[in-house]
Amino acid sequence: MTTVQVQYYAILREQAGRSEERVDTTTTTPAALYEELRARHGFGLERSQLRVAIDGEFADWNSALTAGTRIVFIPPVAGG
Amino acid sequence: MRAFEFSDRALDLPTLHGTVEDVSCGGYVSFEGWVRDHNDGRRVRHLEYEAYQELAVKEGERIVDEAIRRFGVTRARCVHRVGDLALGDLAVWVGVSSAHRGEAFAACRYIIDEVKHRVPIWKKEHYVDGDSGWVNCERCAAAAGEPAVATHSHEHAHDHVHRHADHAPTAHPAGLPRPDYSRQMVLKEVGAAGQARLRAARVLVIGAGGLGAPVLTYLTGAGVGTLGIIDGDVVDTSNLHRQTLFTMEDLGRAKALVAAERLRAQNPEVDVRPFVERADRERLPALAKDYDVLVDCSDNFTTRFVVNDAAVSLGKAAVLASIYQYEGQLQVLTPGSSCLRCVWPDATRDGTVGNCAEAGVLGPVPGVLGSLQAVEVLKLLLGLSSPAENAVVLVDLMTLETQRLIARRNSACAGTCVRVAEAERRARSAPVATEVEVDIAMLDAAERASYIVIDLRDDLEVAAAAAPGPIVHLPLVRLLENPHQLDADGRYLLLCARGARSRAAALALRDAGFSSVWSLRGGLAARAAG
Repeated sequence: MTTVQVQYYAILREQAGRSEERVDTTTTTPAALYEELRARHGFGLERSQLRVAIDGEFADWNSALTAGTRIVFIPPVAGG
Repeated sequence: MRAFEFSDRALDLPTLHGTVEDVSCGGYVSFEGWVRDHNDGRRVRHLEYEAYQELAVKEGERIVDEAIRRFGVTRARCVHRVGDLALGDLAVWVGVSSAHRGEAFAACRYIIDEVKHRVPIWKKEHYVDGDSGWVNCERCAAAAGEPAVATHSHEHAHDHVHRHADHAPTAHPAGLPRPDYSRQMVLKEVGAAGQARLRAARVLVIGAGGLGAPVLTYLTGAGVGTLGIIDGDVVDTSNLHRQTLFTMEDLGRAKALVAAERLRAQNPEVDVRPFVERADRERLPALAKDYDVLVDCSDNFTTRFVVNDAAVSLGKAAVLASIYQYEGQLQVLTPGSSCLRCVWPDATRDGTVGNCAEAGVLGPVPGVLGSLQAVEVLKLLLGLSSPAENAVVLVDLMTLETQRLIARRNSACAGTCVRVAEAERRARSAPVATEVEVDIAMLDAAERASYIVIDLRDDLEVAAAAAPGPIVHLPLVRLLENPHQLDADGRYLLLCARGARSRAAALALRDAGFSSVWSLRGGLAARAAG
């Protein structure tokens, strides 16, 4: 079990009903973590429509997930 | 007869008027510049005008041609005097005729402003005290304004309206204080050298909405020399809670033109150039060539990517921002830095992310992000580095947290961005953008023609307000999961709350080979209003 800090932006925050949370997960990549959280919070967006950042840097969806990291899921926004 | 001419003899108004008459036109607007008895606090006795005619006529004709194309007016001309002029003489005349008055006013204003700024004409003023001096017209236009104004408009042949100086489009009284940049020049990062850099800079702002308002206002205040504004939209009541350049008086008017009026009044030294057009893949790069920095203040993904791609291809700096409810994202591009496509490799299609039933936005949120953009533009112009380069800055105004995420440049991009190059290659090979939208007025006709009407809204939206009529309900996500549940030869009209999702879906289906798929423009909101 890995514990990570997850932050949501834009519509993900709306759908999750929170801007961040601590998550205990057995997944090992941000990709799998997103799918797990998608099922839990009912996120409408496909993974291909977002980006993930790990510890302050945009990262690959298949990076390794390590304990204590800070994960940010970011959808594109276009308002102006 | 040329569109722009010089005359060394007195101008004859009836003759000039005749050169722009056209029975297809319902309105005529003219500007007359007169020799005035004072300038910059000195009494003027008479004037001499001199021009480098070969160059000046070419530039003048270019301006008139731009006005005709940009505003769609029927005829336009400008004639400028050279030689010795007495007080009260007509120095310059602009005449524009068109089907409707709005374009005629805008084109007339554009021509005189551009002539003042761009055409090389010198004015020698002879003062009452016996002294004299040469005055470049650009300087005199910025500092002293117009001599006097008379505009005539006739919507109907029998209805002549005369307006004089108190209704003049420009009315900077002589002796108006000059802008004072001392409060920013005191900063060691600015100084006289920095102020000169700002004065020489050319910035193009794409979108005069919620982000554009602070960007335009602060860049104008800072004395940025040339400020282009491109926006094809008109002012609407729903804009006013966040788009602070506009008032109720401006409803229905082109945002770019209203913004230009406000900004010229704020700082007459700035050369403000409005373009009432959409910034699309054809137009923007041609326009952007003449500017140093592009500022994306648009409200849709399509334009955001067009701005990004133009900046990358032309090697320009760009400042991008976008907002969602209480949040914003900020990114600064410089030649060689990462770009929007390093973060979002595939251009996001409008309507597929979020929900076109208004996500909602608090007015000051674009105000904050737009203000950040203005700061970033000034930093770029002053040669200061930015932490928003090679990064995306996320601003959350609910928690008041900002977060900087490093976005490295795609390692595959050597000279230019490979994804921009690919997008441009696709755009060149693809047929001209397909029109997939139909208007509300066409809906009944479509139904009669037995189109299948599909409501793409999600279950909650439909439960809240079902669309009337014989309509199939198929949420967008389920449709895009398997487009081939539709009949490839079937005729479909897609609709959603406001038309963004249905447009995106129609484009996606057209790409997938469905040839008779349409989107209802404006969605159910337009249908309710209609």
